[in-house]
Amino acid sequence: MLALQHGATGFSVPVLLVGLGPSVLDIDIGPLLALVPIGLVAGVGYGIAYYYRFTYEVTASTFDVSSGVFARRSREIPYRRIQNVDLSQGLFERLFGLAVVSIETAGGGDTEATLRFVSEDEAERLRAEIRRLTAATGESTADPDSDRSASDEPTASERTRENHSPGGGAPTLLFDLEVRELLLYAVTSFRWGAAVFPIAILVFLGGADSGPGLVPAFVIDAARPFGGPDALEGAAVGPLLVLAAVTAVQWSVFTYVSSAIYTVANYYGFRLGRAGEDFVYERGLVQRYSGSIPVEKVQSVSVTENPLQRLVGYAGLWVETAGYGPDSGSSNQSAVPLAGTDRVYRFAENLTGVETPEFRSPPRLARRRYFVRYSIVAAVIVAAAIGLSRVSTFDRWYLTAVVFVAVPPAAHLKYVNLGYFVGADHLVIRSGFWNRQTTVIPYYRIQTVSTRRSVFQRRLGLASLAVDTASSRTFAWGSPTIYDIDLETAREIHDTGRERLQSALRERARTDDLGLSVDFT
Amino acid sequence: METLHPRIRLIWIARGAIAAVVLAVALVALDQWRVTVPPLAIAAAVAVALVLAVGYAVRLYQVWRFELQDDALYLERGVVTFVETAVPFVRVQHVDTQFGPIERALGLSSVVVYTAGSRNADVRIPGLTPDRARSLQETLRELAVESEGDDAV
Repeated sequence: MLALQHGATGFSVPVLLVGLGPSVLDIDIGPLLALVPIGLVAGVGYGIAYYYRFTYEVTASTFDVSSGVFARRSREIPYRRIQNVDLSQGLFERLFGLAVVSIETAGGGDTEATLRFVSEDEAERLRAEIRRLTAATGESTADPDSDRSASDEPTASERTRENHSPGGGAPTLLFDLEVRELLLYAVTSFRWGAAVFPIAILVFLGGADSGPGLVPAFVIDAARPFGGPDALEGAAVGPLLVLAAVTAVQWSVFTYVSSAIYTVANYYGFRLGRAGEDFVYERGLVQRYSGSIPVEKVQSVSVTENPLQRLVGYAGLWVETAGYGPDSGSSNQSAVPLAGTDRVYRFAENLTGVETPEFRSPPRLARRRYFVRYSIVAAVIVAAAIGLSRVSTFDRWYLTAVVFVAVPPAAHLKYVNLGYFVGADHLVIRSGFWNRQTTVIPYYRIQTVSTRRSVFQRRLGLASLAVDTASSRTFAWGSPTIYDIDLETAREIHDTGRERLQSALRERARTDDLGLSVDFT
Repeated sequence: METLHPRIRLIWIARGAIAAVVLAVALVALDQWRVTVPPLAIAAAVAVALVLAVGYAVRLYQVWRFELQDDALYLERGVVTFVETAVPFVRVQHVDTQFGPIERALGLSSVVVYTAGSRNADVRIPGLTPDRARSLQETLRELAVESEGDDAV
């Protein structure tokens, strides 16, 4: 049993109050100001109480955390359920040599345990300790209700685990993001999340230069040279559309720039290494992130490429676990943010052991389907323009018919980026033009398989096959689906998936082979 | 292939009827405060909604099937999008039986099967008699324990 240790938590609340208190309260200057010292004292009191009531303990089989001043909560997390351990350090933490440790498990809505304000050394020690104990329990209790693994001789993977696990040691470097790759990554990636930055800046600078209305004056000023309105009141539809277009362009440019800055700040100095059977990574310019991902927890591996990255021949590699990642709330961890496409595909093949996929395409009927679908979208746009021309002075609605030109290429591009490959031990699924994603799913990671057919697909004899794995996918990363293949093919792959899941599970029970290789570079 | 209990149609029709009532209220409110909607149009819209709801319920009952196969629970369902799902027993995390108030009034219950997946993470089989629900839960639990894998997440 290890000694009980305190997390240096007490600091947070008073600091928050000192920071927030005046700025919130001096809106109503007056008697409320007197509340600030009271709030400060209460905050400091609460912080100190929280500090003394927060304990964590590393036991032989679980990691225990108990916390809470008024409502107490204690948790015991078994090591073999831990998905990944992440460390992050903001500017404040780095100045004071502190770190935030997050421990992720599968399921649930958020991080299982968060230790804030732990000293850097302690955080490192905790992570190494948890990793060591996880590896140890993985060996002894991998199969609690059978004695197969105990009676067998240690397999190759067990031996390597023993060699590498004690104390973690210095991780072997697997991948190092070069400055050129980082800049390329920043320039070629576009994060929609960054769209809030321009709004945030506007709100922040709000009082300074916004005009009388809801719309800041500079937005109207910028649009005026291109035929925008002089003022919002009484403006015709034409100039208003110009204003909307110019604003959209401005917004996109700002979003793009902030997205690039965000990328550089987050992925600066990215390094991926190996410690025992775990991946360890670190990254970040101002806020440092580091963490470890046990390779046996990897559910699937994806290669992502957007059109710009395809143009310059680069791609990114992501591994997915069932836990939650340090940012974006999803379980995707970047293993290689950006590297040459060939290299990334080779990494993916080495990591999962999948053979080089020979992609098959859905039947051509699918392309016709997309053509019809996009034509309907275009027709809706034109119809909306006609409607607008009826109720306003805007009369050149026929200009919007230009969108029909985009329909055939859009349908074709969607079609050519679809592909699937049924391998011996893996299913490889590719889809998407804007964010093309190629996902490698080992059969033994399949949770459920569904064949889906909408009314329209039934008419054409097509079906989509959704293969679900244990992961917390978000809106941006749907569950991997093979779209619009022949019903017969879909049923075939459906059955193949089920059968190979069973045989792979039997295989794994016998050999204890992970099927994933840590040294993938 | 097993089918659901015919009484499940009543629940689905009742659900559709509630939606039709909500629609009627919304249309009446629209008539009161915004634009005049002729009463005939309201009646027609509600009638169409009701007919659709009944048709949907009947059709859904016709297509809903499930089966315990060698390695997986297999389900077929869906009117607009027809879905065939296989839930391998190895992947079953836990199994619930649920009795909602309306279900209880009609003497029905549901079995909900949970997996660690993200989509179809919970698969619900509605419209079972309480006895069948319990026996199905029991069987699924046994099958899940029997086939337990060592790679639980």
